[in-house]
Formats: sequence, structure tokens, C-alpha cells
Amino acid sequence: MNVVIALTITGILNLFGSIFSYRKITPLLSIIGLTTAIVFNSMYWNTNQSFFNHMMVVDNYAVAFGTVCMVLAACLIIFYNRFMGDNDHHLPEVLSVIVLSVDGAIVMVSYTNLLMLFLGVEILSISFYILAGLKKKDLGSNEAAIKYFLMGAFSTGFLLLGITLIYGATASFDLSVISEYVKLNSTSTNYLLLSGVLLILVGLLFKVAAAPFHFWTPDVYQGAPTIITAFFATVGKIASFGAFYRLFQMCFSPIVNEWSGVIMVVAIITMFIGNITALQQKNLKRMFAYSSIAHAGYMLLALLSHDYLGGNAILFYSIAYGISSMSAFIIIHIIQTQTGTDEAMGFAGLVHKNKTLAMITAISMLSLSGIPLTAGFFGKFYLFSSAIESGYVLLVCLAVINSFIGIYYYFKPVIESYFKDSITDDVIKLKSVETILLIFLSIATILLGIFPGLVPAI
Amino acid sequence: MNSTPIDFFPIVIQFFVAAGFVGITMFATHFIGPKLNTRKKLKPFESGVQSVGNARQPFAIKYFLTAILFVLFDVEVIFLYPYAVNFLELGMSGLITMLLFMGLLLCGLIYVIRSGALDWE
Repeated sequence: MNVVIALTITGILNLFGSIFSYRKITPLLSIIGLTTAIVFNSMYWNTNQSFFNHMMVVDNYAVAFGTVCMVLAACLIIFYNRFMGDNDHHLPEVLSVIVLSVDGAIVMVSYTNLLMLFLGVEILSISFYILAGLKKKDLGSNEAAIKYFLMGAFSTGFLLLGITLIYGATASFDLSVISEYVKLNSTSTNYLLLSGVLLILVGLLFKVAAAPFHFWTPDVYQGAPTIITAFFATVGKIASFGAFYRLFQMCFSPIVNEWSGVIMVVAIITMFIGNITALQQKNLKRMFAYSSIAHAGYMLLALLSHDYLGGNAILFYSIAYGISSMSAFIIIHIIQTQTGTDEAMGFAGLVHKNKTLAMITAISMLSLSGIPLTAGFFGKFYLFSSAIESGYVLLVCLAVINSFIGIYYYFKPVIESYFKDSITDDVIKLKSVETILLIFLSIATILLGIFPGLVPAI
Repeated sequence: MNSTPIDFFPIVIQFFVAAGFVGITMFATHFIGPKLNTRKKLKPFESGVQSVGNARQPFAIKYFLTAILFVLFDVEVIFLYPYAVNFLELGMSGLITMLLFMGLLLCGLIYVIRSGALDWE
């Protein structure tokens, strides 16, 4: 499969950047590699091809999610180079790890075999453990890496045990065989299969940072370098949800009544814990970590929908959330390097320092809180309507209440930047590439909020 | 495929036999054997060499790096054995796959050597 090959070759070429002394062109190289992969990926649209002895099937779902992940990674690499490029001694290696982790994301959204799911999860996670500890001298970064590694390895154990039990029940790793088996035996209760489903659920809920498996999130998101946090919150979460929805929609939808209760409870707990804890946070990175937990709660609603409406909803929400989250974290990074603080008061008087940046902050916060005319509104609208059509009215009511809670903390940075006076009057200057990319992300947010049909149905 | 729990009964018996053997031999030697504890006998056994100093000492990270690289490339060799056994059946496609695998690992080796991870000084 061309996409995986292109990404792997790009990763290896990047790795050699520092030892064969072409580190200056490695960012360009990774962008070219990712663009090539995106082009290859879009050529698979509507083809439904199967690869590697039916280990992966690239259907429209895989193409859509893969493209989202790769576009977000390309944005991230541009910003990483701009912000860290000159100071970062290990630039080629970091870019290589980022590109290779996107490889894992691609595997995670296009697998048709549980072994490939495990491989994809591991490729993505191991890259993330390395990226979390990038600031070697920083205590928080070290803590983030070791915490993420230990807890991630533990949760992978649950995932593996779940896969084992499902293999025990169905005698196959292949999703089509498993789904046939589940369809035939959906009336009788098979405890081996159900325990397998439950354990896989635990492993994947950890990866998407849903409560009560969310405890690593705030520490890791706060400790990791801010740009890398943007990567965790966007690509990591979107790929995990891609894998999650694919597995449960393809295989376990006939026995939805057996696990829908778990998802409902987890979704409610996740939304409330995420939103209520985010209210009390002073540190913006920590606040956005809890906000990303809350978003995982909303996205869990899509898993409960009976038909392919859920797939479209989760794709649109992923795009909306990914774009706004990415620009929010990038702005936090800019403010952090300028003022030296990653707390909300760093935003004070931002409008006097840089008008564009303040406006982009406002747009991304409006989108994250789900105000109409932004992509976030339609993301929430699709998610909630798909859940209502499957009959989960009470759950949607709770989700709407949570969206209102969210507005309070999302507006903190906006209020700071527009209505508070700044401590210093330094003007924040951005390079033209950064401004263009940030404006591009905001325009995409608004465009998707006005014309939601731009995202094709899968 | 169709197996009932009773089919696994031999495994249970095997478990008890194994555990019982360990337990009985340990207790039996403890009670039967003569006990002559001398200073030299109670020392940790270090391949027959006189033990020197404390084992809990900090040592250079270079050893760790060498060890982990050894494990990495040692595990790689394990994959060569099944390939060697199935060499003829796998044919040309197997050779290409294996060359790709070895090539990727060779990239890693080149990176390790060129980035100076094996320089001792």
C-alpha cells in the first residue's frame, strides 16, 4: 500500500538527516512525503481495495480519516520547524518519529485484522512516548513520558487480552469472520466473547482518554512540549476514535445492547469529569487536556448509533475538533514563548499585541464550544442527531448541558485577550507562514460551519 | 474446536504434579540433607569466583546502550531461523520480503554507528 510505503521511506530519510548532514531540508522532505502520501491516499477513494492478504482494507472511511490525520500532521510539522527548528538539536529525528507515528495512525484507521489494530496502536503509542519526553532536561516532560509509557503499556495489555479472548471465541483475528460469528450468535450470550469485547473497550477507552481511564491525560498534556501536545490531542485522538468506531461498527453492532450501557455510563462520566474539572484549571494546557477528555465523551455518542450516520458524524466532529484544537494549542505555544507562562493571564491584552492572533483565538474557542457558524456547531449537531435517531434522548440532554458548561472555560482566554489590560505592551510578531496557516485553519473552521456539506459522506 | 471443560482436566493434573514435585523436593532436601553452614558456603555463588564488593553500584550508561542494541539485533537473528527453514518454499517473494526486513534493520545499524552510539570514548 503506497501510503504506508511513502510514509515509511519519508521517516527513514528524515532519520538520516543529521548523520548525512542534510538536516536543513528535512522539514521540506517530510512535507513532501506527507503530501505524496495524501495524494496516494485520495486516489483510493471509492476503490475499497484490500492489502497484505486482507490485513487492511482501504475504504472511504479509511481514506477520510487517514487524510485528516496526515493534513494535521503536515500543519504540525510546519509549526514545529518554525518554532523549534533552530534550537532543536534533534530536529530530523523528531520529524522522523512524527512521520512514522502517522504511519501507525493510517494502520489504525484501515485495519481489517485485530493484529493490525494492535500493531497500529503500538506504532502510534511508542512514538508518542518518545515525543512526550522530548525536553530531556525538563522535569515535567520526563514525568509525562514515563507516566504515559507505564500506563499506556498497561492498557495495551488489556487490549491484547481482549483480542486473545475474542480469538478464543471466534477462532479468527479477521474482522469479517468475527462479524459473521457475532451475527450468527447474537441471540445467545457468549461470555468469552463479551469479556473480550469489554477488555478491548477498556484498552481503547484508555487511548481516547475517556473517564475513568483519563488520569494520564492532564499530566501528559501539560508536561509534553506544547506543539507535541497539539499532536496528541488531534492526531492521536482522531486515529484512536477511527480505530474504535471501525471495530465496534463492523464487528460488534449486532450485540450493541450488551455494551451500549457501558458506553453510555462512560460517556456521561467522561463529559462531566472533563468539563467540571476544566472549570477549575488555571493552566491552559491542563484546561485543554480536560477539554479534550470532554470531547472524547461527546464523540463516544457516535459509537451508539445503529447505522453509518455515526461514521459521518464522528468524521465531521474529528475534523472540526482537530482544526480548532490544533490552532488553540499553537496559539498557547506562541503566547508561552512570548510571555513565559501557559496560564490564562498570559492572554491578557492580546488584542493590543496582535489583532489577528486574538481573532483566531476567538474563532477556535467558539468552534470548540460549539457556537453556530463554526465547524464545532455542526460537529456537535451531527453527533447529537445521530444519537437521538438511535433513541438516546436523555444522553443527548446531558451532552447539551455539558456543552453549556464548556462555554464558560472556553471563553476565559477570549475574555482575557479582549477585555483585560496586558502587563507588557510588546507586539507579538509572527512569520508570514505561521499567520497564513493559522488564518487558513480559522477559515476552514468558518467554512465548515457555513457549508457542512463540504465534508463528503463516507 | 468443540471442547468441554473436562477435556482440560489433564492440564490441571499436570499443574498439580509440577507444583507437587517442586514442593516435595524442596521440603525433602531441607529435612533429609545434612546442614553444615560455613562462611564460604553462605556467600552468593558467582561462577566459582571469589565475590568482590557490592553489586549495587552505578555503572556507565554506555554498557546499557550496548546491551539494548545487542538485544535489538539479537532478536533480529531469531527471525532468520524460520526463514532459513522455509527458504525453498518461500521462493523469490520471501527473499524480497526478507531483504526488505534486513534492509530496514541495516538502516538502523547505519544510524547507530554514524550517530556515534558505539563510540566508547
